[in-house]
Amino acid sequence: MSGLRLLTVGGVIAYRALFNWTTPGMFVGTLLVGPLFQLLFFAYLGRQLQVADDRFYIVGNAVLAASLACVFGGTMAVGNERRYGTLGHVLLSPRSRTAIFLGRAVPYAGNGLLIAVTTLTGGALLLGLRVPPGALPGLALALAVGSLSCACFGLALGAVGLRLRDIWVVSNVSVAVLLLFTGVNVPAAALPGWMAAAGRFLPITHAAEAARVLAAGRGIGAALPAIGREVAVGAAYAVLAAALLTVFEAESRRRASLDTL
Amino acid sequence: MGIAVEAEDLRRTYRSRTGWARARRTEVDAVRGISFSIERGELFGLLGPNGAGKTTTIKMLNTLLIPTSGRARVCGYDVVADTREVRRRIGYVFGGDRGLYDRLSGLDNLRYFAELYGVPPREQKRRIGELLDLVRLTGRERERVEGYSRGMRQRLHIARGLLHRPEVLFLDEPSIGVDPVAARELRGAVADLAAAGTTVLLTTHYMAEADELCDRIAVIADGAIQALGTPAELRARAAGRVGTREPTLEDAYVAIVQPS
Repeated sequence: MSGLRLLTVGGVIAYRALFNWTTPGMFVGTLLVGPLFQLLFFAYLGRQLQVADDRFYIVGNAVLAASLACVFGGTMAVGNERRYGTLGHVLLSPRSRTAIFLGRAVPYAGNGLLIAVTTLTGGALLLGLRVPPGALPGLALALAVGSLSCACFGLALGAVGLRLRDIWVVSNVSVAVLLLFTGVNVPAAALPGWMAAAGRFLPITHAAEAARVLAAGRGIGAALPAIGREVAVGAAYAVLAAALLTVFEAESRRRASLDTL
Repeated sequence: MGIAVEAEDLRRTYRSRTGWARARRTEVDAVRGISFSIERGELFGLLGPNGAGKTTTIKMLNTLLIPTSGRARVCGYDVVADTREVRRRIGYVFGGDRGLYDRLSGLDNLRYFAELYGVPPREQKRRIGELLDLVRLTGRERERVEGYSRGMRQRLHIARGLLHRPEVLFLDEPSIGVDPVAARELRGAVADLAAAGTTVLLTTHYMAEADELCDRIAVIADGAIQALGTPAELRARAAGRVGTREPTLEDAYVAIVQPS
């Protein structure tokens, strides 16, 4: 029970402490309005180039919209300990590192889900996309899984940020990589083989695939394999984040390699 | 009484590498084999110039660093092998502006660290209230820490260090940058803690503070203990060097770290 409390209560307090974009202006501008315009940009570009229909772009960009909050948020969730000089005080905790740090991914995933749902709703209303009502629960699941997977990816980057001073460069590049490699704006079949292959190991890719299947009215059964793959990708990044944090903490005790105080 | 902290021939060497093509390796012996012990309930001072090895010593004792050699035990637990047990029993207060979540209130900072330090949820509210009273932040606890003065931040650091009722408290220059009135209150709070049975290891650059508070003092320089004794014993070492007046702890300290 107390582990669950650390995951939930601790995760939420840490979110408020470490996420830089919680002010209303930053939140609405950066996380809600920005992704909607990105969706419109790619939808109109897609119409012009006749690469794919509106549904492809609306659903793909809605899933991708979560990535901004999740990748940067996940990075901030660990990397900002360095900014505040609090890492040493956190590491002095006798409690499980997994509960402390992985719990931090949960609020970002919730944040990502909110953004993805808002972007999907806004995009559908503006461009006239009709989603079958029966697909909505499955869509919510696909968006939630994509957000959680992306938050775990961000957490892994945040762990690297404990060692790498300029982790924001990596986060910026990662967001651009997700934009291209996950097939949300360029169909995976049209990407060079290595890009499509790399995309399969990134978050968002399989969640976007599942969301498109659901939005097309093909039912949850058809989407479950892709959702399962997204869960596997997210779990892999969660394990990577936990492993990096364990290794870096142990190495820091031996070599004084982290800015603990 | 029993021993709360023991250090045996504790050493720490920092190794660093700069450059890639022609990597240059450097080694700095920050702590060179120090040994001391602190009784339970004792207030023990660690004095020394900047870079003498005080903070490195504390970081080895509080488990943030592994000694290069030697061993240390806190409350009977080895700082390398029994990390979690040591962490349950220690508090750490570090002087300075950083180390707090600026965008959270003082109350939320304490709530978060109460979770991290394993304070049972039922006790958290009462314990945090007690500590806010102790450090005189009651009434200001809902304000964001970014608006706190340095003294308020320092008092919040102390409250955090005490959340889980540690048996051993490490105070690393807690009064640095604190105004005289707040520093006096801080000394009072530290003395009360020691009187209540908390073992305290204090580092400070303020000799009067060390003289007033500490049962025993170790003076460390160049990573080694140069002198260890009660404040009176250390002062006696400066007798004859200051003319006819009574030597102060500062006289003794200067005589120890800058022998003529």
